[in-house]
Parts: sequence; structure tokens; C-alpha cells
Amino acid sequence: MTPMLFYGHRPPNMPTQSLPGRLIAIEGTDGVGRSTHVALLKEWLEARGFAVLDTGFTRSALAGAGIQRAKQGHTLDPMTLNLFYATDFWDRLERQIVPALKAGMIALTDRYIFSLIARATVRGVRPEWIEALYGFAPVPDLVVYLDVDVDRLIPRVLSSTGFDYWESGQDYLPGDSLFDNFVQYQTDLLSEFRRLSSNYGFKTLDARGSVADVFGQICGEVEPLLASMQRESEEAE
Amino acid sequence: MVGGGKDGSLAQLKGKLFIVEGVDGSGKSTQIDLLHKWLVSQGYLVVFTEWNSSPIVKATTRRGKREKLLTPMSFSLIHAADFASRVHMQILPALEAGAIVLADRYVYTAYARDGVRGVNREWLRELYSFAPAPTLAFYFDVPLTEAIRRILEGRPALKWYEAGMDLGLSEDPYQSFQIFQGMIRAEYDRIVDEHKLIRIDATQHLIKQQQRVRDAVMPHLRDVLRVDSGSVHTALSQTGLLGRYLDAPATPAEEDV
Repeated sequence: MTPMLFYGHRPPNMPTQSLPGRLIAIEGTDGVGRSTHVALLKEWLEARGFAVLDTGFTRSALAGAGIQRAKQGHTLDPMTLNLFYATDFWDRLERQIVPALKAGMIALTDRYIFSLIARATVRGVRPEWIEALYGFAPVPDLVVYLDVDVDRLIPRVLSSTGFDYWESGQDYLPGDSLFDNFVQYQTDLLSEFRRLSSNYGFKTLDARGSVADVFGQICGEVEPLLASMQRESEEAE
Repeated sequence: MVGGGKDGSLAQLKGKLFIVEGVDGSGKSTQIDLLHKWLVSQGYLVVFTEWNSSPIVKATTRRGKREKLLTPMSFSLIHAADFASRVHMQILPALEAGAIVLADRYVYTAYARDGVRGVNREWLRELYSFAPAPTLAFYFDVPLTEAIRRILEGRPALKWYEAGMDLGLSEDPYQSFQIFQGMIRAEYDRIVDEHKLIRIDATQHLIKQQQRVRDAVMPHLRDVLRVDSGSVHTALSQTGLLGRYLDAPATPAEEDV
């Protein structure tokens, strides 16, 4: 058995040894198609006989509702929001992700710590602080980063939900223009994602292509993990 | 930059921050309350904040405690969220304005409680690095048996996390509470040395303790914001009302109307 790896110190209540399951994180900015690919990947994995847990932000029993409530008010500052999200992240890690990994499932997470780090640093939070905070996170077996440019994002966002208050950084950027702020915010986020991508060694995929094309690339990255799981299960016989 | 300068220095802030720490039953809340009343009676502008009281976070903490959802890390993170919210809404603005901030429990409470629960100590200190450094930090030092006697007088129903039941130290809440408080006190001992907290002997007479606190606070009160309560004074004296606390109401603006 190999030790379970963390970005920082191993926190309390976390296993010391690596677990039979696999942790896959799909990262990328708003509107890049993450949720679509998470849904497709879940189908694809299950069809191949792998049990999947899927999770994403604010889905924790502890803090999910609290975050939603806090975001509706006007007194929420970036540091409190960061720590609220960190609470939500930890709760899901402890109650959803780790139990799934113990059970030999594939834990598929729509966003990981990197979206949280990027959102914080573009709002002026010290990168060393937020990265040290998330030192409690296990290193996933695979982080797929879906890269895109702002010009491609705009039509995708407009054709789905439209520009959202938070996804446009309206909470901290000056001016009233949702469009201008969206462009500014997403440009900053993308450059932060790229910095993180080289520091943390993501699998960066070009997400400008068609859904089928991008999904094909994702499957290509996931395949070796499945092969190694298959091997381990046969050795365990 | 949000997230703090490394030193969390108060150098640029005009206000003063005084905080109290100690185990449950150390009498720290009584002492900070007396300090509060004295400062107000002297005409200082005082903002008081206590642990775990942020309007936007405490409902989540309460739910977590009630449903026993909190584990060492989520306990730590949600309390940090509460603290961050109070730094943003209460503590920093008051210090920037040049007021006095009094805090019942500060980051050292998290260092002690979370450290005992197995959270990495270095990580905790980095987590709270955004906290403004206090002007003075008082630690009310009381022997364990005395603190426990004070708390358990009347055998109150101990709360789950307060008694450290989440650590599985004992099935019996009272026994668990005693072991847990002992661990916290030992952790505080290290913290007091590490962060140079002012140790106050909490077995001394209350008046004597308060005198020590005031003596320490006094030299830091120059240039601190005071409330102009002149008009209130006049009004009160005209009606023959001259009380110790009455002469500087907490909300002079409303009283002046």
C-alpha cells in the first residue's frame, strides 16, 4: 500500500494509506462545459462497470444551505466566503469522497480546490494563504483542466443561463456592466487557472472543440486509471 | 491584500484591541465585562465581540453542533469563517476608526481547541494569519480543579462539543469534560508562552484581577477615540441623574435625539 497524498499536512480523520477507489477532479471556469462532461463521464464509467460518486460545490450537509443563504445577503466578505466554501469542501471530502474511495468507487468531483483558490486570489486574497488552507486536500489521481478563452465562453454563457452576478465578479468589480465585468473576471480567472495548472500539474485539455471531441480526450486520460484499478482488483483475488 | 500581511500588524490601525482567553470557568468573561463598563464610563468608544457570534455563520455552526455533524476539521473551519466575518464587519472597521475593540476569546481559543482535536498547529496559525494582532492579550489562569468546580456547580447539562464528547474520551460527559478541559489547559500553557499572553492569576480576588487588567490597559489609551457625551451629561445632571454607567451611554447618537 502507498501512503495517501495530501497537498499539505494530513488532517485528522483522514486515512494514512491510499484507498482502493480513484479520485478524479474536473476543473475549469464557468460555462466551459464541466457539468456536461461530469455527467457524460459518470454514464461512461458506470456503463463500464465502475461505481461512481459525483459531487460538487455547496452539496454538503453541513454548509451547503448556509452558503446559499449567505450569498443572498449583502454582508458577505471574500474571507468569510472562502472559509464557508472550505467548510463545505471538507464536509464533502469526509462524508462523501473518502467513504466512496474506501468502498472502491470512483469519486468524480465537479471542480476541486483549484476553482476555490482561483476565485479567492482574483479577489485579492493572498495565494500563499489560500493554498496553505487547502493543504488538507488529498492529491487526486487525475485533475483534468478544461481550458478555454473568454471569446468562446461568451456565446456559451449567453445561450445557457446568461451572465450571473457571481460569475461576473459583480461582488467586487467596480462598474455596473455585467458584460464588462464578466470579461474582466473570467480573463483573470483563466490566467489564475493557468498559473495553478503549471504549479500543480493538471492534465490541461483544449475545451474549445465539440463536446464529443473534448469528451474523447477526457476518456483517454481516464483510461489508464481504470486499467490500474482493474489490475488491482485481479491481484486482490 | 485580503488574507493578511504576514505579521497581521496593528501598526497602521489607530484603534486598540484587547482580548481575553482562558478555559471555561476561568472568569475571563466577567473580567472583560468589567473592563468594558469601565472604559465606557471613561468615555471611550468600545466595540465588543465574542467568539462564535457572526450573524451570517452562526446558524450553520449551531446546526452542525445540534446534529453532531462537526468533526475536528469542520469544527475548525466553520469557527474560522465566523471569526473572518467578525473581523470584516466589526473588528477591522472599529480599529480603523480608532476605537477600542474588546474580544471575549480570540484566535488562541482556536489554537487550543483545534490543536487538542488533532488539527495541525502550523496550519492553524497560517489559517488565522489574517487576524489583527491584539494590543494586549490576557490569559486567565486557573487550576483545572477550580475551573471544573465553577462550571459543574449546579451540575449543568454539558453540551456535546463543550464536553469534548466528539473525541471519545469517555462515555460519561462529566468525565469527558474534565479530561478535555485538562487537555485544553495544557495546550493554553504552550500558547501563552509562544504568543506572550499576559497571565492573570484567576484565583485572586476579582477586584485585584480587574486592577491588574486596567493597569495594563491604561498606557494604551492615549489617542483613542472618545465619545462626546457632553450634551448627555448636561441633560442627566439637570434631572439629577448621575450614575456610574449612565454618564456615557453605549449609543450616544440615539440618546442625543
